[in-house]
Amino acid sequence: MLAGELNKHLAIALVIAVGFAAVPLFVGERYLLGEVIVFFIWAMVAMNWNLLMGHAGVFSLAQLLFFACGAYGVAMGTQLAGLSIWLAIPLAAFAAMVLALLIGLACLRLTGAYVALLTFAIAEMVRILIVTDTHCFALIQNNCQQLFGGSTGFSRFSDFGFRPILRGDWIVGHYYVVWAVFVLSLVALVVIIHGRLGLAFRAIRDNVGYASSRGIDRQRYQLIAFASSALLTGLAGAVYAGHFRFAGPSLFEFSTLMFVLAMVIVGGLGSTWGPLVGAGVMMIVVEFAKELGDARSIVLGLSIVLFVVFLPKGIAGGVGGLRAIISRPAGQNRSTTATDTHQ
Amino acid sequence: MDIVIQIVVTGTTLGAMYALAAVGLSLIFGTLGMFNMAHGLFMTIGAYAAYAAAGQLGLPLVAAVVAAMAAGAAMGVATHLAMVRFMLRSKAFETNVIVATAGLAILLQDFVLKLFGGYPYPQPVRVEGVVRLFDVAVARQSLVIVAVALVLIGAVAWLLLKTRFGMAIRATAINREAAQLMGVRTNSVYLQVMALAGALAGVAGVMISSLSTLSPSMGGDPLLKAFVICVVAGLGNAWGAGVAAFALGLLEAAIQYYVGVRFGFPVMLLLVIAILIWRPQGLFGTEKVVRL
Repeated sequence: MLAGELNKHLAIALVIAVGFAAVPLFVGERYLLGEVIVFFIWAMVAMNWNLLMGHAGVFSLAQLLFFACGAYGVAMGTQLAGLSIWLAIPLAAFAAMVLALLIGLACLRLTGAYVALLTFAIAEMVRILIVTDTHCFALIQNNCQQLFGGSTGFSRFSDFGFRPILRGDWIVGHYYVVWAVFVLSLVALVVIIHGRLGLAFRAIRDNVGYASSRGIDRQRYQLIAFASSALLTGLAGAVYAGHFRFAGPSLFEFSTLMFVLAMVIVGGLGSTWGPLVGAGVMMIVVEFAKELGDARSIVLGLSIVLFVVFLPKGIAGGVGGLRAIISRPAGQNRSTTATDTHQ
Repeated sequence: MDIVIQIVVTGTTLGAMYALAAVGLSLIFGTLGMFNMAHGLFMTIGAYAAYAAAGQLGLPLVAAVVAAMAAGAAMGVATHLAMVRFMLRSKAFETNVIVATAGLAILLQDFVLKLFGGYPYPQPVRVEGVVRLFDVAVARQSLVIVAVALVLIGAVAWLLLKTRFGMAIRATAINREAAQLMGVRTNSVYLQVMALAGALAGVAGVMISSLSTLSPSMGGDPLLKAFVICVVAGLGNAWGAGVAAFALGLLEAAIQYYVGVRFGFPVMLLLVIAILIWRPQGLFGTEKVVRL
């Protein structure tokens, strides 16, 4: 049964990957391709957060710290250490994982709301320390550059380097780099969620006591979830920095956190594909809200509140529920994996 | 000696403000089992209510503080009626409600921004002047803050320990079902707790803004500290939160003086994490044994 689910979802991942690979053949506009790149990045962050929060039951609010760690890693690696970006990207993702291991070792001794509060406090602490730093570390073009970029962050460091090769079509190069990372992330997530590891995560989430009586060490498995989702989130942050040539404290401020949280909640916590859909939906909704005027925060706040109160399993849960209603008259029993709704 | 007095005065003032915020936060967690991410906005709204009452309507200072308490209490009640009561019985309430109140926080912050704008107004509800204490100049406002905090926290302690109202709250906190069976109307207890905590947050907001300025995002920093205080005290332990608030306020003032203003909160947080590694249930929390 496990293998069947895995193959089914790998097939879905393949369809998604091929579908998006074909997009630049039909779409030439730089703006649209740029939007799809942003979608890839946020979808990665949202899906990894879902792995941690929805499957492993670790309510971490430090996910964007790991995203920022990836972005800062690339920025500092290329600008301050002079590394090639292709070396800086894996190093930055690895740094995010190491940071997650340290934070996880300290925080995962606790559970539930305690983890949420501590991770939130740690992420905010790092952000405040970076923003309030005024000590010059280096001079970049006669401008004072703090070690961690200060309140403005890093910008104008080297990107993927497609501009001289592809000229006007440099964005296509960026598109396929981010697409490749996106597909890698997708496959890794499907393999984790529908493999033995995901089963262990959900066992802990649903009942810690029974899971540990079957020999599943809560702290160890939650640490694995914490570190692996941070690695993939850091990777997303690294390609973000490579694409936008920017890394700064705005990457993990509260409103960005809420933006990604809305994607996860609206898409469906604990599903496989929900957050992917949620990322697309929230990007479109927020785009419309911007056109209506300054309504981004209102839309984010309202969608989070309404979904948590009325549809806590998000769009994925809603679709799963509809499917159950439709299939019931046919005499089928409701799926036993009702807690693990699939999009 | 002067430096020590200075640190003690600053630390006690900080501690008093944190205590007002943390006791309310802890009270809500103790009774409803909910962590209120919108608590910082209750403070902000209280501060702006006092600003509007004193600055725009010209009411006396005491009336402005009462207005802040009323605004905070109203926010607490509204949050419960419009949102929390629908979620209380749901699965994963503890984490869902964090998400929902975080959504509420960003919504309310946007309303405050649209209503008052982002300009950092000074808080008119404050007393001017300094008094001398062993050769150290102490702002009268600091003394007012400490006095108000002690009076209000004393009043809350009296309410909880000496009245039937407080007994109902404590009973609900210990065991919701048992309290219901004894005839406690838990729904009205929840409302009362939200109102009480909201009122404390409103006053905390006035006090915090009186030392800095008003801004829509002013609640973020004190909320973060109140979080840490509640966690280190053991979630839901209102007494511990009060004590921990003063202890951490003093510690923060000392670190800010000796190490640098930037490092006050980071060092405090690292210490708290160290404490939690040693005692995961918090300093004053009791370990729960769960039977399957």
